[in-house]
Amino acid sequence: MRYLMTTGQNSRAADEALFAEMGAFIEEMTAAGILIATGGLEPGGVKMTSHGDEITVTDGPFVEAKEEILGFALVEVSSHEEALEVSRRFRKIVGDGDSILHRVMGP
Amino acid sequence: MTSPRGGGVRARVDAVWKLESARIVAALTRMVHDVGLAEELAQDALVSALEQWPDAGVPDNPGAWLTSVAKRRAVDHLRRVERAERAHTALAAVDTEDVAADEDEDADVLRLMFLSCHPVLRTEGRLALTLRLLGGLSADEIARAFLVDEATIARRIADAKRTLADEGAEFAMPGRDELAARLSSVLEVVYLVFNEGYAATSGQALLRTDLCGQALRLGHRLAALAPSEPEVHGLLALMELQASRAAARTGPTGEPIPLHEQDRGRWDPVHVRRGFTAMLRARDLGGGAGPYVLQAAIAVCHAQARRPEDTDWAAIAALYDRLAALLPTPVVALNRAVAVARARGPAEGLALVEALRDDPRLRDYHLLPGVRADLLARLGRDEEARREYARAAALTRNDAERAFLDARAADLVAAPAGPTLEEVGARFLDGLDAPARRAYGQTLRRLVRGLGGTTPLAALTGADVARVLTTSWGSAAPATWNRHRAAARSFAAFVERPELAGELGRRASTAVSSASVSPDRVAALCDDPARPVRERALWSLLHESGAPVRAVLALDVTDLDRDDRSTHDRAVVWRSRTARLLEELLAGRSRGPVFLADRRPGPARVPAAADRCPDTGRSRLSYERAEYLFKQASESTLSRLRPRG
Repeated sequence: MRYLMTTGQNSRAADEALFAEMGAFIEEMTAAGILIATGGLEPGGVKMTSHGDEITVTDGPFVEAKEEILGFALVEVSSHEEALEVSRRFRKIVGDGDSILHRVMGP
Repeated sequence: MTSPRGGGVRARVDAVWKLESARIVAALTRMVHDVGLAEELAQDALVSALEQWPDAGVPDNPGAWLTSVAKRRAVDHLRRVERAERAHTALAAVDTEDVAADEDEDADVLRLMFLSCHPVLRTEGRLALTLRLLGGLSADEIARAFLVDEATIARRIADAKRTLADEGAEFAMPGRDELAARLSSVLEVVYLVFNEGYAATSGQALLRTDLCGQALRLGHRLAALAPSEPEVHGLLALMELQASRAAARTGPTGEPIPLHEQDRGRWDPVHVRRGFTAMLRARDLGGGAGPYVLQAAIAVCHAQARRPEDTDWAAIAALYDRLAALLPTPVVALNRAVAVARARGPAEGLALVEALRDDPRLRDYHLLPGVRADLLARLGRDEEARREYARAAALTRNDAERAFLDARAADLVAAPAGPTLEEVGARFLDGLDAPARRAYGQTLRRLVRGLGGTTPLAALTGADVARVLTTSWGSAAPATWNRHRAAARSFAAFVERPELAGELGRRASTAVSSASVSPDRVAALCDDPARPVRERALWSLLHESGAPVRAVLALDVTDLDRDDRSTHDRAVVWRSRTARLLEELLAGRSRGPVFLADRRPGPARVPAAADRCPDTGRSRLSYERAEYLFKQASESTLSRLRPRG
């Protein structure tokens, strides 16, 4: 089963030590076949709204900075607990902040 | 502090364990040199976690906690052993090796894989041990995945560990000379785990598909640990690409959907992409393509076709040509026929399939008639196709697949008038007496399985019958072959089509079977007081008289002229040893069969009066029983008691 983990602003400064630690973690998870895709997201973004035949496009930001999604990871795990466990390890690295997990249905 | 969806401590321990156990067990195995003990120590650490974490809280790094507790236990164990043995060497080695050697962690996991897939183990043991040690699955979880009970899996694991210890299997990287063979054993185990999950049918799917996930994880792990082996990446690519089709390959009711009819939009792009990535790694490494790389290359061809009609069948057929040379199995040959049919037309494919119909290994393989049916249908030979679909349906064990094949059969024209093989066969057997029905029933059942019960009798040919009998009993003993040949001839006579058995040659019995039992051996058997007098009298009589076995068993007491040592009609004549044994055997009896069965027959099997002793109620000793008893005593047959010349 797959989970999408999204992450907002984290407290730990993005220095070289963080990159090294995160790099090792990503490498380990990829090698284990757990991590499918991951990346950072630009703040703000673009909103598209459809209403009837009309589609409007608006530039962000749309939420408060502390609510904003700034990173994601798609993981393949064998249980809900395993998804939590992997995310716990991620949270230990990045300091204070929030991550939200959703199970991905399909395809 | 944690929501219900955060799971209890037990669930956390389990999740941590599945992620970390391979590394922990591998590290411990290196310390204690015994994989069984290593696993026990690791389990002890797990139990400690279950005891301590609920109160003390889960440690910051639960994996590291489990590792260090387990290693401490391993050191304690080695110290105890050291004290007990008063040897100094073990501990010195332990202290230096101890917790420091983390950089070797990956190599240890790879060694553990080689060990749990060791060729000295039976396949089922390798599968269970690998899932246990590398996947961190409990015996119960493995049992549910393989649809067997937990005790069976526990026993397989215990047996495997014992075998590894008994055989002195080492926790080490295989040497250069055996690396290829050992690696292929590991790949085989991983692919078997995958297929076990992939083959799961709808009802079992939830329990079993996790095996696919386990196999993929093992595959990824292996690819990271042995990155320079092309076949490792080939296997990973093959599994990923097969996994990409998991959702598309069954319909809403669990019926299988053939590849070319699948909704390609449902192929999982994540798996496809990972499959392609692995395939590129394998190609980059170069070297001659092995079986997994070739199979993955075939899967890549399918994955690259956006519509079925875009499939590059010529490339696939060429890959199958190479694969068939490396892996000359009948299943590969069958798949090759399918590819060739697509690339070069159904007639050419059918020609390859026809060659496989004589292969005993495919005798009950439902895909053979299934493929043949598809090709026949494409050639417009609807009636033959319909029969083959029906036969494939009768052979498959998967309910959804059976319904699917039956539906394909029903789509084609109805059977022409005329009785079917199954109907006439049943009528033929009904007309026989019980022993003949038993003996011939086996032959008829095999014909029905091999040719399809709904085949009209009129469509049957002598070549069909010969093919089924040859595939089934072509390599059996001449007597077995001749028995089935007799059944086929009898059936052919019954339906007044003797040509149906016209291609079945009689087999001469081999030289060994005609050799007589030596007189010394006969004497030893007949003079052995430990053996029942009935058998000794029968054997002695057969040897001294040279009379046919059935004639001797048919004798009644009143046929004998015991003073003259012969039957009244002098057809059977014997000498002193038989005379003595007959006196002993017949003491006090004046009528009924000479040779009687041990017990009275059951109420359902009352023999004819002539075959029953009026005094004791016991029936005549049967030919089969007499043969059996002699076979037990001598490993030979009664007819060989007859002296030569």
